[in-house]
Amino acid sequence: MTPFVFPRWANKTVHIAGAVMGIAPLYLIGLVWYGLSPKTLDVGYAPQQPIPYSHALHAGELGIDCRYCHSTVEEAGTAALPSTETCMNCHARVKVNSPKLAPLRESWAKGTPVEWVKVHDLPDYVYFNHSAHVRRGIGCVSCHGRIDQMPVVYQHEPLSMSWCLDCHREPEKNLRPVSEITNMAWHPVSSSEGWQLRKMHHINPSTDCSTCHR
Amino acid sequence: MSSVKDKSTPPLYWRSLEERARDPELLERLRHEFADRDPGEPSSQDRRRFMQVMGASLAFGAATGCRWQEDKLMPFTRTPEGMVPGVPSYYNTAMELNGHSVGLRVKSYDGRPIKIEGNPLHKDSQGAASAIAQAAILELYDPDRSRTPMQVQGGQAAPTSLAEFKKFARKHFSEVMSQRGEGLRVLTTRTSSPSFKDMKARFGALFPLAKWMEYEPVSDVNARAGSVLAFGSVHRAHYAFDKAKVILSLDADFLGIEPNSVSHSRLFASTRVPESETMSRLYAVESALSITGCSADHRLPLRSELIKAFTAALDYQVSQRLAPPAGLGVAQPMPAAPFLADAEVKKFFDALVKDLVANAGSSVVVAGCSQPAEVHALVHRLNAVLGNVPNTVSYTQLDSTDTRTDEQLMQQLADEIKAGRVSTVLCLDTNPVYNAPGSADFKSLLAKVKTTVHIGRYFDETARLSSFHAPLCHFLETWSDGLSWDGGVTLVQPLIAPLHESICPLEFLASVIRDSETTSLGIVRRTHREVIRDDRTWRAAVHDGAIPGTEAKRVTPELRAFGVFGFAVNELGEMNVGNGKLEISLALDSHLHDGRFANNGWLMECPDPVTKLTWDNAVLVNPGTAKELGIQNGALVEVSVAERHITVPALLSPGQAKGSLRLALGYGRTSAGVVAGNINAAEDARADSVGVNAFALRGPGLWHFGSGATVKNSGKSFPLATTQDKHGIDPIGQKGTEDRLPLIVRETTFEKYKEEPDFAKHKVHHPPLLSLWEEPVQYDGHRWGMSVDLNKCTGCGACVIACQAENNIPVVGKDRVMMGREMQWMRIDRYFSGDSDTPKVSNQPVMCQQCEHAPCEQVCPVGATQHNHEGLNDMTYNRCIGTRYCSNNCPYKVRRFNYFNFHEDMKQERNQVKGMVFNPEVTVRSRGVMEKCTYCVQRINLVKIDARNNQRDLVDGEIQTACQQTCPTGAIVFGDLNDKSSHVAQLQGRPRSYALLEELNIRPRTQYLAQVRNPNPELG
Amino acid sequence: MATSAEYLQWQAEPKGDNALARITDNVVRVVETPRPPAAWYIALAISISWVGIFGAVVGYLFWEGVGIYGNMNPVAWGWPIVNFVFWVGIGHAGTLISAILFLFRQQWRTAINRAAEAMTIFAVICALLFPGIHIGRPWLPYWMLPIPNQMDLWPQFRSPLDWDIFAVSTYFTVSLMFWYMGLLPDLATIRDRATTTVRRLIYGMLAMGWRGSSRHWHRYERAYLILAALSTPLVLSVHSVVSFDFATAQLPGWHTTIFPPYFVAGAIFSGFAMVVTLLVPAREFFGLKRVIEIRHLENMNKIILATGTMVGYAYGMEFFIAWYSGSDYEVFTFFNRAFGPYAWAYWTMVSCNVIFPQLFWFKKIRTSLPAMMVICVLVNVGMWFERFVIICTSLSRDFLPAAWGYYIPTPFDFLTFLGSFGVFFTLFLLFCRYLPMVAVAEVKGVAASGDH
Repeated sequence: MTPFVFPRWANKTVHIAGAVMGIAPLYLIGLVWYGLSPKTLDVGYAPQQPIPYSHALHAGELGIDCRYCHSTVEEAGTAALPSTETCMNCHARVKVNSPKLAPLRESWAKGTPVEWVKVHDLPDYVYFNHSAHVRRGIGCVSCHGRIDQMPVVYQHEPLSMSWCLDCHREPEKNLRPVSEITNMAWHPVSSSEGWQLRKMHHINPSTDCSTCHR
Repeated sequence: MSSVKDKSTPPLYWRSLEERARDPELLERLRHEFADRDPGEPSSQDRRRFMQVMGASLAFGAATGCRWQEDKLMPFTRTPEGMVPGVPSYYNTAMELNGHSVGLRVKSYDGRPIKIEGNPLHKDSQGAASAIAQAAILELYDPDRSRTPMQVQGGQAAPTSLAEFKKFARKHFSEVMSQRGEGLRVLTTRTSSPSFKDMKARFGALFPLAKWMEYEPVSDVNARAGSVLAFGSVHRAHYAFDKAKVILSLDADFLGIEPNSVSHSRLFASTRVPESETMSRLYAVESALSITGCSADHRLPLRSELIKAFTAALDYQVSQRLAPPAGLGVAQPMPAAPFLADAEVKKFFDALVKDLVANAGSSVVVAGCSQPAEVHALVHRLNAVLGNVPNTVSYTQLDSTDTRTDEQLMQQLADEIKAGRVSTVLCLDTNPVYNAPGSADFKSLLAKVKTTVHIGRYFDETARLSSFHAPLCHFLETWSDGLSWDGGVTLVQPLIAPLHESICPLEFLASVIRDSETTSLGIVRRTHREVIRDDRTWRAAVHDGAIPGTEAKRVTPELRAFGVFGFAVNELGEMNVGNGKLEISLALDSHLHDGRFANNGWLMECPDPVTKLTWDNAVLVNPGTAKELGIQNGALVEVSVAERHITVPALLSPGQAKGSLRLALGYGRTSAGVVAGNINAAEDARADSVGVNAFALRGPGLWHFGSGATVKNSGKSFPLATTQDKHGIDPIGQKGTEDRLPLIVRETTFEKYKEEPDFAKHKVHHPPLLSLWEEPVQYDGHRWGMSVDLNKCTGCGACVIACQAENNIPVVGKDRVMMGREMQWMRIDRYFSGDSDTPKVSNQPVMCQQCEHAPCEQVCPVGATQHNHEGLNDMTYNRCIGTRYCSNNCPYKVRRFNYFNFHEDMKQERNQVKGMVFNPEVTVRSRGVMEKCTYCVQRINLVKIDARNNQRDLVDGEIQTACQQTCPTGAIVFGDLNDKSSHVAQLQGRPRSYALLEELNIRPRTQYLAQVRNPNPELG
Repeated sequence: MATSAEYLQWQAEPKGDNALARITDNVVRVVETPRPPAAWYIALAISISWVGIFGAVVGYLFWEGVGIYGNMNPVAWGWPIVNFVFWVGIGHAGTLISAILFLFRQQWRTAINRAAEAMTIFAVICALLFPGIHIGRPWLPYWMLPIPNQMDLWPQFRSPLDWDIFAVSTYFTVSLMFWYMGLLPDLATIRDRATTTVRRLIYGMLAMGWRGSSRHWHRYERAYLILAALSTPLVLSVHSVVSFDFATAQLPGWHTTIFPPYFVAGAIFSGFAMVVTLLVPAREFFGLKRVIEIRHLENMNKIILATGTMVGYAYGMEFFIAWYSGSDYEVFTFFNRAFGPYAWAYWTMVSCNVIFPQLFWFKKIRTSLPAMMVICVLVNVGMWFERFVIICTSLSRDFLPAAWGYYIPTPFDFLTFLGSFGVFFTLFLLFCRYLPMVAVAEVKGVAASGDH
């Protein structure tokens, strides 16, 4: 019986194999890195809400201040959703019969809450505190994007850990005068403004684990 | 991370499972709740109503939620005034136990009460709370609580509705009323509540022939009787331990299970500061080693039955030395008791007498509730003779004149039932079938009663045998009131609307007597209408949790001369007695009390302060006696007293008096719940009973203690779950422990301390502790540290429960405790030294010491535990993969590992209510991650954020760890070491401050203040 | 059974007109037999069933949690880590024989190096089974690898556990390459003697086109030398690093500078014992007495004697240092080891590792198959207990007496350990049947004269 011999083309396979073995791991890592990152998975998440509430209309055109509805944002960890009462302050008179507002009126009548879907949803083991950021001069827009231009609210930033750390390491990039936090269109007058604010208010965010995880 | 997250659909807001199950009728009622807003009520009411609904929803808001699962947000329809979602609010209320009520402060998140602390405004509490009081929050959310009324027909219990029950009650009691209460017996617990008293009076007027009986398995009735003997009227003695130089406890665990222990502990601890000029000296004479005995400078183990003679002898000797005014009558003659001739006793006795006399006027003598009236009378006399009244002992008069013992009450009831004179028994918040004396055989008695109505928090042993059972609401669900130890009125306000279909006791009585006031709020306000006229004062009182200026006034009652007391043979016995003559004493359990808290997992798993036993009661035996009886640790023994037997494991207990047995009450529940035992429940809730019911031994001649007990070794053994000295310690272990004990718990005597205050610094000799590298972290901001005063710690365990409540620590069960997998972040290490009859006891709370060179940090392969810039040793649960290397490398072994998902049971629908007790500020750990004490980092962060938001500096003492907050003696102090003026910095600067295992150069942030005892030089 | 045709045919004189041909035939006929004796199938069936048990236990572990093992506070590392260290230790013999003995020109190694290397690889595979499953969240071990991620988090390179990962995986890779390269010429031989197409193809593939040309041989020798040089430090490094898991900790009984050499000696000790344990029956059963001669085994036993004595010295030295250090905790720990609750384990260890191997001073025992078989099994037992003693007794009683405990393994601990043996034996049995158990080419190389 003739001994087994590899055909000539088999020689090529050696090189191919080499190349594949070289590149494949890198490719895989890249795939996981990009493909499984919140940047890819979460950004743009825009669930349908029980009431087609448009921030573009209220915050944008009408120019209602964020804090009119999200009233607790400056003293509490959570930026509370407005109560039906708050909505009714206007809608008792405005658009009283709009079918879109049916759930609102029902809630008002029955005292059952409107069930909004959470958009910016951090894991339970992350303890983010709105007041701590807003009071230091981190504007709403830094994390939520141009809410005032969103007919339907979607997640604008990845909200990943590294994303948080970027800002905790270089807060000056997102600092603004506390008076301007709800101003979506604000722009620093000078590139050094962030630095000055940081120095002025001694803002040195910690990157310790327990800052966010308990 | 949080195990509850794995729920498929996030539940909408709900308060009971029926509601989650969308029971339409219930939802209807719920809506109704929103609709009607009674303008008459103070708006706090209003807020509460909304929050209780929000509560659960946010509970699960906190629990559920991750990307792949849609998370719902449910805002209020109308935001209650002054309420900010996600920001906790605090309410003052009170809890009744031992016939007096203690002020509590409850932390509530969005209407969901999550933690109980002491009420800082309350005189007795001053912010501290006992383990039992704190654990009440777990009881509120106990899935085993009775949820619907039950009607029993032919032994079959069928659930029915509250409406049904009310209909039945109205009908039945109007019939009884028409016969002027003929054959009606009301059985309740002893309560100090004025409103209850008021209702009782109204009840009596309408049911003149009915009898109202207040029964407590263990109460202060002996003390009342004693004061009648001494003064002719019922007085309560108040002890100013803080002014005392010499304290004598006669079988009185005033730091432990006896009434008002929280306040007593604080007062006592204030005299244990060696830095000050003087230190008190505590003598304890007791049969079983108690918390008080552990803190005593001198302790004489003596059978309880001998203490009467001991006191009489004391009376004789003391009176001999300081001839008391004739008004105080004559002293008892010296009893001819052989045990008094015993060398040890004599030495102790003589020294004691000398010390008491020397400190006449600034000493205190206390007798325990279990001691007979005569002893209490003698103690009143002793305090008078010693001139302690009114300096260290003062009195308040109690209006009650009822000095019938609980034993007599039960006997009377039993007789009447036998005689067929009882047609209806109403058990209000009491469980006689379980806790009546075994001799009474209440089970069969109850069968003779036509109608038994039971109202209680659990469908318990009595409920099973009743014709009708209705759930009783928890004290956090209703309005009520009570009297604190000094007679001041405390107010109980609801934190949440009843979770289940339960009724409040006051409202029930109101419905029975057709009261014009139907709500408990109305009733309570009516009771105090004289003192509180307008709403403003009322709100102020509710806010403070007490009505100011209502304390009873201190009086100095006239001591009556009383005759010579007789003694039974066993009361004048030898130091030791053989089998058959043994004394057995039945006492409240350190945590389960008389069994009413038995189904509370936190309490069940909290180690007994002295024996470190969990999940069982065992008969405690002196090691020497045990040898004579031929029984070893864990041997199952049959204890018999007058034809009554129980079989129970034995536990050799150093310090137990010779010839004396001690058994804790409160175990052996058969119908409590999955924790304590529920032998005939449905599949998902069935559980064997834990421990043995000691009430079975009770009967004529044995209430608190009695003699003539026989012990028979069954030859079998029974595994006991102790959190220390597992598997017993071999000679080598013994030796090793003795050798290193002086280095671990550093102690000296008051004299020696005065000569060498920094003795603790010289106990260990080690080379200079240098660092190999540049300090990785500079602590220029805060440097958190802690100081634990071993001289103040009594080992009561309140801190352990506080920690468990604050940090969502799971309960793991007996088997895992036996393996060594208990999860409590705090251990209270208890060491014995000296001989086993009169051991010296040291307690040492050990939690994570937050080392600066933390051994755990360097070995974690994923960096899940890291050092932060304030010196905290951060533990990041969600990064941990569970290699457990950190635990191996921790010299204190304070890290705890989740070997399983200890919240697994919450997947069962009936258990989901447990989720409501979680602290939303702390991650609920799932399976496979390491956890440990964090110095309550969540508390630190919240205060820091608030301070920063308001541009203010932190104030020392503003941040309190949970353990520090609740410690009755203030043994634990936390703060910023960089702030030289802070309390903790001062304490760590004290000469007797030392770091545990400092020689390892790990630089722990927690330091201990060495123990300084104050022994009598004559006793050495 | 033992007299079945196949069996006898293996015992028969090997065919071939000259010594070299006979050597080839003697080894290769095991692979070429169409049907091995039933005994082989039975053995395989048993070990595969053990693998099944392993699978079942691990499945349950993933479902329930690592709590099914006996680990607790204070003994947070139990059997899984004991087994890990045990298997890694076993794995040392192969590389030592093939690398170090090669560099020292120990010709007798050729008879056993193939089997030893195979054993090494299988042992390391068994070792690698454990760390992954003993952690609390067994689906996350990859967090210990430096993979870029959205959390900006890296493993902590200060942790010896992380060093382990690199040490052991490197060791595994190099040993595997070494072993496989050594196989090439023999695989080619089998290919060339193949009588069926299937064999021809399979072994052809495996042989990677080895033609035995002088150029092939030249490169082969080079590569062999380089790999030998590469893996020599590995022999010492791997177990040193594993020992760091303990040495760098500050636990009394772990915190010891003697650990690296002591662990390496112990590893070689146990590894050689395991080789002998496997080869004694193998050479009988597969009729390799002519190739794997008594003198080879005797040499192995000499090394076992030497390393065993070293280990004994280490045991003694530990006690001396404990006393000399003046640290009470240290003294207590070792006193407690020898006379405390775990004394039984300690004395099992000492008798198996120090006392019995001393019998190898006698040539009679050194050369008696039953004797060496028994002693080597004992050594394996002893070395397992050594790891148990170090890990569990030290942990069970450290600094604070209040935190002391007593570790008791659960049935699952036993089953998992048994399962790892199942994996080991399954692999080894397959190796014996389908690959040349002896490095034919190398043996021939040293047997140039024709009779060695």
